[in-house]
Amino acid sequence: MAYEALDFYDIDSLLTEEERMVRDMVRDWVEDRVLPNIEDACRDGVFPDEWRVEIGEMGILGAPLKGYGCPGLSYIAYGLICQELERGDSGVRSFASVQGSLAMYPIWDFGSEEQKEKYLPGMAKGDLVGCFGLTEPDYGSNPGDMITRAEDKGGHFLLNGAKMWITNGTIADLAVVWAKLEGEIRGFIVEKGDEGFSAPEMKGKHSLKASVTSELVFQDCKIPKDRILPDVKGLRGPFSCLNNARFGISWGAVGAAQSCFNSAREYALSRIQFGHPIASFQLVQNKLSWMLREITKGQLLAYHIGKKKDDGSWIPEQISLAKMNNVDMALEIARMSRDIHGANGILDEYPVMRHMANLESVKTYEGTHDIHNLILGRHITGIQSFTREP
Amino acid sequence: MGVAVLLKQVPDTTAKIGISGGRVDESSITKWSISPYDEYALENAIKLKESGHGDVVAITCGPARAAKCLTEAAAVGADRLIHILTESSLDSIQVQSLLSAAVKESGCDVVMCGKQAADTNSGSTGPGLASSLGFSCVGGVTGVSMEGDVASATRLGPSGLEEVEVGVPCVFTFDKGDTELRRPNVRGIMMAKKKPIDSLTPDDLGVDASNSKVSIKSHSSPPKKQPGQKFVGSESVPEVVNKLREEANVI
Ligand SMILES: Cc1cc2nc3c(=O)[nH]c(=O)nc-3n(C[C@H](O)[C@H](O)[C@H](O)COP(=O)(O)OP(=O)(O)OC[C@H]3O[C@@H](n4cnc5c(N)ncnc54)[C@H](O)[C@@H]3O)c2cc1C
Repeated sequence: MAYEALDFYDIDSLLTEEERMVRDMVRDWVEDRVLPNIEDACRDGVFPDEWRVEIGEMGILGAPLKGYGCPGLSYIAYGLICQELERGDSGVRSFASVQGSLAMYPIWDFGSEEQKEKYLPGMAKGDLVGCFGLTEPDYGSNPGDMITRAEDKGGHFLLNGAKMWITNGTIADLAVVWAKLEGEIRGFIVEKGDEGFSAPEMKGKHSLKASVTSELVFQDCKIPKDRILPDVKGLRGPFSCLNNARFGISWGAVGAAQSCFNSAREYALSRIQFGHPIASFQLVQNKLSWMLREITKGQLLAYHIGKKKDDGSWIPEQISLAKMNNVDMALEIARMSRDIHGANGILDEYPVMRHMANLESVKTYEGTHDIHNLILGRHITGIQSFTREP
Repeated sequence: MGVAVLLKQVPDTTAKIGISGGRVDESSITKWSISPYDEYALENAIKLKESGHGDVVAITCGPARAAKCLTEAAAVGADRLIHILTESSLDSIQVQSLLSAAVKESGCDVVMCGKQAADTNSGSTGPGLASSLGFSCVGGVTGVSMEGDVASATRLGPSGLEEVEVGVPCVFTFDKGDTELRRPNVRGIMMAKKKPIDSLTPDDLGVDASNSKVSIKSHSSPPKKQPGQKFVGSESVPEVVNKLREEANVI
């Protein structure tokens, strides 16, 4: 049966024709290419390279960026792309988020003219893959205390340190790496093959299995002087990338939730117990109605923050709220959907357990759920509670 | 020179069709798409253009919503878009008259369309159009290439492939072959949005679109499928044989 994405409040009618066409293009691609192959990809723990090629051909990478071969779409269109990709699998959306919001964006916003021209057109086509190295083994929620260092050696920079949990790391042609230069956080572009740089893959994930996660290791890694991002200093650099990625996640989570809702609804209508479809029981209807309600609220949140991104009137705390709420909602819906599927819910025949496991990562990366609570807490009270020091 | 490709907008083959008051309830249809065989015509028209046979002119005949299939065609490479705007229901002759007037206006010498539309399945448009234009017609093709003024088409015959040569002007109706349909991309979608659609009324084309001679009187859903029957054990064999003979009429 055709996939009918839940759209109870008719968000569709608020979209431009272009946004709808982009959404349908990605939806069709996910239907044709991701859904039939995702379980194999997860089992093998790979992100199929043809997906990179096809995503590149669709021209959706770096969606809201303008110029340098980038698509120049609206933030709403970018959100819709994330929604459709994540309806397939969070790992596929992660690939696109990292490439667009975490690797292309800092080059686009903080890079030199030469850097933009060198990297962005190839990245928009998917010919060059990027990754984003912020998290370290000992510094996750607290990246400001990172250990990775850059030293100015006159003719080049020397990088030392290690990053962990880096999406796309092993398959990346370039890494945007955040490191301290004379005590201040700066962005550097490290290319695959640079002396002293390696990116071993992390294995054994129960979540985001179709996404590549890696360590980045820098041992006296030598990079040319023109690889520093000239236009940003401090945590503002990585945080502004995260704002864009978190925005995309708030839409992506809706896609995963829509997928779980659909599966639950169809299953409940066809599964007979005690002589009746389980969809006819009030407790099951209550669950479906709760899902409908939460997804609808999440959609409105995502749509509204998208409009604000498009007109520039947003603040980061609003994105924190959308990311936190929508991932939390999607995770609860995945769990509830799994429950409605009974034992069948644990099988790979249905997408729900996969979404559920994926969303555990999504809840943690791009600022954990509670870090977003702290961001909002600071916004409400004016008192930061990330650390005990004043 | 040039290829006209005729696109009909139909309910998506996966859409649920509701019936109310003896007619298909259009408001129940959540997704409209280009009729699937027409998509093969479009793909081949673009291939022909890429091999140098002029521009692709996409033509649709239908209500305002049908304009969407022209924009979709532009997103994958159609150069000119013509929308024959009709709100009333038309019979085949009227549709063919409208389309042939639009094809004449476009100056195209090759016309491509699906072998039949997914909603009516009638298959009359291609041959009817050819006869009203005085073009040759080759039906049920899966691929077309051109050498000067001569086209060669591959046809799926009942027992194998048939290669047909035909001079222009001509009409090809398309079957589903193994041609892969191209996907749109963002660049195509953004250009398509800027492409103007020439909107023409039957009056503009000098065709009388009133008083169609054939009209659909009612629609009804196909009969509900009976639930399957289950037989267990060898003792049920005579009963199964009996049912196959008496009820299913297969033995
Ligand atoms: C699949 C995957 C992909 C990833 N991809 C990338 C990537 O591409 N690039 C990148 O740089 N990083 C990436 N990450 C890392 C991710 O951003 C971090 O995991 C995240 O920031 C959390 O850091 P942590 O895991 O060290 O947890 P910690 O920071 O150790 O947090 C552990 C727990 O403590 C809580 N906590 C921490 N501090 C506080 C506090 N002050 N008050 C209250 N609670 C607190 C957290 O909310 C959490 O519940 C990825 C992670 C995963 C799982």
